[in-house]
Parts: sequence; structure tokens; C-alpha cells
Amino acid sequence: MGAVSPETSPLLAVAPRDRRRRVVNRIMEVVASIAALAAVALLLLVIGSVVVKGISALSFSFITQNPAPFGQPGGGIANSIVGTAELVGIASLIAIPIGILIGIYTAEFAPSWIGNSVRFSLDILNGVPTIVTGVFIFGLLVVGSQQSGWAGSVALAIVMLPIVARSAQEVLALVPRSLHEAALALGLKRWRVVLRIVIPTAAGGLVTGAVLGIARVAGETAPLLFTSSVFSNLGITTSPSQALPNIPVTIFTLSESPSPTDHARAWAAALILIFMVLVLNIVARTFHDRSRRRLRG
Amino acid sequence: MATKLIRKGSVLLAVAASLGLAACGSSSGGSGSSSSSSKNLTGAGSTLVAPIMSQWQSKYNQLKGVTVTYGAIGSGGGIAQITARTVDFGASDAPMTTNQAASCKSCLQIPWALAATAIAYHVTGVTNGLKLTGPVLSDIWLGKVKTWNDPAIAKLNPGVKLPSTKITPVYRTDGSGDTYAFTNYLSHISPQWKSQVGTSTQVHFPVGLGGKGNSGVGGVLSSTNGSIAYIAIAYVTSNHFDDAAIQNAAGKFVAPDVSSITAAGATATSIPSNNAISIVDPPASAPAAYPISTFTYAIVPTKSPKANELKPFFDFAISAEGQKYGPALEFGTMPARVVSAATATIAKIHS
Amino acid sequence: MSVTAQPASRGPLFAGHSKLSDRIGEPLLRVLTGLAALAGVGVLVWIAYTVFNQASPAISRFGFGFLGTSAWDPVHLRFGAVDFIFGTLESSVLALLISAPMSVAIAVFLTELAPRVARRPTQILVELLAAIPSVILGLWGIIVLGPFLNNTLEPALNGAFGWIPLFSGSASPYGMLSAAIILTIMTVPIVSSITREIFDTTPSEFKEGAYALGATRWEMVRMVVIPYAGPGIVGAVILGLGRALGEAIAVTQVIGNTAGIHASLFPPSGTLAAQIASEYQGATSNLQVASLVYLAAILLVITVIANAAARLIVSRVTAGREQWAP
Repeated sequence: MGAVSPETSPLLAVAPRDRRRRVVNRIMEVVASIAALAAVALLLLVIGSVVVKGISALSFSFITQNPAPFGQPGGGIANSIVGTAELVGIASLIAIPIGILIGIYTAEFAPSWIGNSVRFSLDILNGVPTIVTGVFIFGLLVVGSQQSGWAGSVALAIVMLPIVARSAQEVLALVPRSLHEAALALGLKRWRVVLRIVIPTAAGGLVTGAVLGIARVAGETAPLLFTSSVFSNLGITTSPSQALPNIPVTIFTLSESPSPTDHARAWAAALILIFMVLVLNIVARTFHDRSRRRLRG
Repeated sequence: MATKLIRKGSVLLAVAASLGLAACGSSSGGSGSSSSSSKNLTGAGSTLVAPIMSQWQSKYNQLKGVTVTYGAIGSGGGIAQITARTVDFGASDAPMTTNQAASCKSCLQIPWALAATAIAYHVTGVTNGLKLTGPVLSDIWLGKVKTWNDPAIAKLNPGVKLPSTKITPVYRTDGSGDTYAFTNYLSHISPQWKSQVGTSTQVHFPVGLGGKGNSGVGGVLSSTNGSIAYIAIAYVTSNHFDDAAIQNAAGKFVAPDVSSITAAGATATSIPSNNAISIVDPPASAPAAYPISTFTYAIVPTKSPKANELKPFFDFAISAEGQKYGPALEFGTMPARVVSAATATIAKIHS
Repeated sequence: MSVTAQPASRGPLFAGHSKLSDRIGEPLLRVLTGLAALAGVGVLVWIAYTVFNQASPAISRFGFGFLGTSAWDPVHLRFGAVDFIFGTLESSVLALLISAPMSVAIAVFLTELAPRVARRPTQILVELLAAIPSVILGLWGIIVLGPFLNNTLEPALNGAFGWIPLFSGSASPYGMLSAAIILTIMTVPIVSSITREIFDTTPSEFKEGAYALGATRWEMVRMVVIPYAGPGIVGAVILGLGRALGEAIAVTQVIGNTAGIHASLFPPSGTLAAQIASEYQGATSNLQVASLVYLAAILLVITVIANAAARLIVSRVTAGREQWAP
């Protein structure tokens, strides 16, 4: 805070000082508003680029056809759409049940110090760079065998697990204790309380976590780079024992190409991916808001 | 316009629906050719061979119903992946080093295509066909020739108006057969290059910008004014890059094309037992030869569980039918003695 | 949590439940959930073990000297990490220097300034920025941002501030500046959403007290909200830092992937994660593979420390306050 100038009379001193305070206040308000608008503008800029450039390259054949051979026009990313759905599907089948079980464990069974350590480990796991997860799975499942949908899915599941589990922990902790204790007091065993009362009450929140996990890994490239990147572009691959084509790696490859045709394909693929991810996020948010209202009563 | 937007919107809806279906657990997959795994071959490596491989894949699938999956991850990756046995075959434009051959445990090298690494550049105001020599290339990538109007370049190109733009040399960051061919060539030409940088699929470049794969290098090239890159010839053609004519041992400036690459291939007279053939900087007796040409190889273990699928595929690749896709993609014609050496090598594969 | 099972006082309501199913179900759920928790913790340990194990040829060859060596020469088998450690820290710190103040401003805007109806939509928009896959940011970085930097921003910065080493030298579409900007875009939503949550927890009595004493809105924010949230903001920034340090794909797409330490922000550089992404599959020798995994080990240690610190700070700040937001 600036000092009051000594030569001005006390009565008048208030006015310039106040004016300065008001000006500073105004400036800071404007700065904060501009920063917020800039962030929104950046988002619109990136999404706008994807939409504008993607729309012009997008067509039905782009999602129904497989990639064209080298240097030829046309083609699509049908194989990558199917492969991404499959990779994410298998990853979800692994990560969602385990994640929810972890949530139940810390909310219902674990002593608090164990619960805290599990929570902390999951946060750390969430912070492990996904490229390191890729290196880990490469060493574990690819060396000596082959890149495969399984390897890619497991890598994605590792990325997804902490998101699902942490969100399950948080939402299960919100289930009213009173509900819980009433059921226990009536003689219900804890496992029945969990299955009949806790999980149904928290279902919306559990779905939120699961969908957020799906949204996160649907766009992940790094875990797939060494585990499911050498894939066939001739046709649709369904067997997870083969490397599965996928949209993120396809965008990655196309983005580094010099050819404008490939860039157009990259934008169209990006539009499809961003659309999937944003829809999933909005779905998650809707469930989140609804279940939060419900849990709060 | 409106109907177009509606159509595009419905495309997205269809995607969303299919995603929803897949997320609901059942990985139903979809229609299409899902082939049994015994009918599959997986390979990875050279990006130089990727364009012709793309043709081989679709033709061979039509002919035999075998799906060949190929990942263009770079020649170094091809050798690394076949050594780790994560693929059925590797592909490399660089023959394996003694150490690599030892760790690959009795692997065979099969020459299966003949191509070249072009010197492409992107300089506003300079058109196709700049003349360059090996020593100048070496000085550019060593950072000694820094601008396009350097006297060393101007002297070779009288009449060409060269700008003072800074030269940005571009190189491959992944292990690459193009890097091998290029550094092998420079090591033949320049003693300083040989001692300071050396020959390998991946070297430490003193200056420049990195790009991943031929594609990545092309991407950097097209976005950077003043850049110069070594890049597989097929990528030069498909992206309409300008490329340089390089002076060969006979003193002629030769641009890479099917005939000059074939002429370089013809200088492969003696073929060692491991098929490692070097044709960079061919002798003055071949005045039409492009000096940075290279054979590219398939690398397989002698004993492979997929021997019965691999052998017919390799035979197809080196046959007239497989090689006929070459010229359109600027691949040269392999000399008969190299083809017969390849045939003999393929016969050694067993399960 | 410490509600122990009550002595069985079964009313007729629950007479139908057999004791057998309880005898199986109760321990089954306990064991299953316990195993899941063990798996969650175990995979972290397993990753660390595998990474250090695979890096061991390089660790035993180069030792800790690797951390301070500037070399990446696959031909002569000389490898060192210092260029990439520097690049990683430089790109991430630069990104956070821009995104941290921006995020605090956004949080102030969202909690104090924005009209009520605009708050939630703006917040959702900013948070959706976090959902954009990094490969798409990288694509945008290559095709839109790179040419802009090369042709417009970097020449302008060089013209105006060329005497500062940071802005010296010639422009390049791939480089440190490009990476830092992409990482800024990635970290803003993370830092701002956590900061906003912490701001929201400022007790309203404090705020009202400040207003009652005649503070302007900015004075209230500066003297009440920010001091109250201070440690939490630090935690949020470190969390954003953790994300930036580990980002491989978007950075490898835009940074140019070279070793070397430069004073200027324009030339291409490399980071730990980007170097692994660009070279791991194509490494030409076992020692190079091990050296790349050594880089992964260093990256793992750095990010674990950053995340652990951030989590400890954030959890201390928000202890006891309900917080659940995706």
C-alpha cells in the first residue's frame, strides 16, 4: 500500500488515495478477466483449428474406409476407430473393476493410515509420465513376444487406474455415514451394506470416474507408442494379440508427415478424437453434477 | 452448406454411437478382414522401404490372403526389434554391424530393394537441381558452411542467385538407414566427418534440426525456410521437394532417379557372404551413378517359426512382380547377381 | 470409520439372509478389495523396479556421472543426461512461469469477478482444455503454432529484445519456445482448477471482514484469499509442473529433438520424455536402450518427487475440507 503524501491535508488525502486504490482494483479486475478470457480464447483457438481444418477433410468414407496405400489419395481411419474402441474397452474392463474395488477398500475396510498411503500411492501413480508406463509395458509384455492390443490395453489400464480409483474413493467417502451406520446397526454385514447401499447410492459418481478415465486414455499416445504402434493398415484388426491400430498413434504419425494430404487426415482424425473425448467429458460432468446433488440431498 | 454440416454432424454421431457400443463392454469389432494369426506377418524398420512395402502389402494380401503388417519405425528400430524378436522380420537400409549381427543370433540379410537418399532443400528463391559436392555437404552438416550464399555453394552454381538465408541442416533422430547411407557416404568423402561423426544409423550431428522418420524430416523441411535434408527419394517425389544433383567420383553432377540409382546398384560386383553391399561413392568407372544409393534389406532369423510364410513373401518381393512397383516410387532395378544372392539367402530360412 | 459391527441383533427383516453367504461374502469382498489396493500400490513399485533394472547396464557403465554429462553420441557410445534434464526443467519452468499467474487470475475471475451465470460455463470451458489429448496439441503446435513462431513471433521478439540472450539467434518453427507454449496450454487448466477450488474454501467471514474494513475487491483478494490459499497455490503449481515434466508426445512433436543447451529459446532442444519417445524404438545398441531407460528413471524420480511434494502440500491445505471434482 502506498504511503499518504504528507503535504496534502488529512481530509483531502483520502480522495486521491482512494482513487488510486480504486484504480488498482479496477486494473487487477481487468487483468484477471483478460487472463480468464485468454484461456478460453486459447481453447477456442485450438478447438477451432481442429474443427475448421477437420470438417473440410471429414467424410463418411473417412470413418468407413481403411487407410489408402502410400501416396494415394482418399482412405480413412476405420481400422483406428475400431482399434481405439477395443483398446479402451479392454483397458476399462481391467481398470474400472480394480479401481472401484480399491475405492471400496479404502472407504470401508482399510485403517486410515493404510487408506492414506493407498491414496498417496495412487496420486503418485497418476503422476508417473505415461511414456515411462510405455517403457515399462514394453519391457514386460512386448520384448520377446510382439506388440499387441493386450500390451497396449494394459498400458492404458495403468494410466486409467488411479483416475478411476481416486474418484471412487472420493465419491464413496461422500456416502452419508448415517445411512451406513443405520444398516450396520440393523445387523447387516458390511459386504451387504456395500453392495446394497453404498454402491447404489454412489453409482452416479462411480460412473463419472469411469467415464473420465475412459476419456483420458482414449487420447493417450505415449503408452501405445511402444506397445501398439506397429499395426496393419490393410484392414480392420480385431484380435488383441495383434497390435491394434488406434487414433492417437495415427494422428501422431500423420502430424509429422510433410504431405498436406496427411495433415488433412490428421485434422479429421483429431476432430473425431476430440469429439469423442469432449462428449465423454460432458457425460462425466453430467453424472457428476447429478450424483453430487443427490449425495448432498 | 447446411446439409453438408448436417451430414458431417451425423458422421460424428455415428462415431459417438460406435464408441458407446464399444464402451459398453463387448468388443464386437466390426466387419472386415480379420485374419487368423498364422496368416499374419509383422515387420518393422526402414522408412525408406515403406512406400514400396505399402504396395507389396496390398498386392500380396490380394494374391495370398496374407496380411503383412509393417511399422515404419526406422532401420535402427528394425534391427532392434528383430533382435528382440518382437517382429517376424526387420527391415534396414544399413547392414548390421558386427555387434548387431552377433546379438541378433544368426540372422540373415536379404537385399530386397535398391533406392537412394536424396539431398532435398527448401530455400525460397532457389529452384530444383542445385549442384552440390560431398565435401560441401560434409561442411554443411558440420556447421562450417552456414549460409546459402557461401562461396563454396556459389562456386558450384554459377548463375544461380543464392540468398543469404541461414542453412538449417535437418537430420533423422531415429535410427535410420538413410542416416547410415548419408554418413557412410560422407565418411568416404571427408576424413573429418569420419573421425568426428562416423558412420551409423544414428549419429551425433554437430548442428541442425531433428525429425522422426523420413516423414518427420520432410515435415521439418517443408516448414523451415533455408533447410536442407537427406531424405529417401520416394518422399522427395511424393512431396515435390527440390533436390540437389551430387557430384560423383567421375566428376559428374547426378540427380537421383531410377536410372542413376540402377547405375549405382550395378557397381555391386562382389557380394560378401552376409550380403552387406556398400554402393555409396561408386568408382569413377560409373559416371552415371548417383553417389548416395543404397540397397535395403530384410533381416530375419535363420530359424523362424514363421519360415513358411516369410519365404514366399520375400520371394514375391524380389520377383519381377514385386519389383515392378519400384520405378514409380524411384526405386532402382536390382542387378541380377544381387537378386540371385537374395534368392539363395531366402532358401536358408527354415523353421 | 470406526463403527465396529454391532452384536447381531437380527430382526425378522433380515432373517432371510443365510449365514453361509455372509461367511463367504464378507471375507471375499475384504480380500478382493485388499488385493486390488495392493495391486494399485504394487504396480507403482513394479514400474520403478523394472525401469531401474533395465537401466542398470547404463547405470553401472556411467554411474551418477551420467547426470552431469553432456553427450548423446550413439556411434561412440557416449551418453549423458544433462542436456535433457536441463531441457525438461527449462521447458516446464517456463511454462509454469506463464501459466501460474494466468491460473491465479482465472481463479480470481471465477470466484470473485465473473457474473454468476458465467462462472460455471467458463470453468467448464477452461477445464475442458485439460481434456484435449496432447497429440492434438502437438498437431496444432506443428501446423499452426510452429509457422507462427518462425515467421512472426520469434522475429518480433528478436527485433525488440534481441540483446537478451533468451531471444537471440534466428527463428525456428521447432524449439524450446514452442514446447513451453504447448506446455503452458496444458498446465493452465490443471493449476487453475485446483487454485479455484482452494479459493472457494476461503471462509466467507474472512472475506466479509475485509470488505467491512473498507477493502476493495483486489485488496480483499490480495490480503485474504491469496495468503489463505498460498500453500495450496504452490501445491497446484507443482502439480502442473509434474504434468509438464513428464509430457512426451506433444513436446517431441514440437521441440525438434536434439541434445544441446542453448541460451536462446528459439533453437531446437530436447527433454527427457521427448528423447525417450523419439529414440527408444530405434536405438542402435543395447547401451543406448539402457541409457534411454536411465533417462526414464531420472524422469520417474523427478516427477515422483514433484507429485509427492504437491500432494502433501495440497492435502495439508485441504485437509478436512470436502473436495471432489473431476
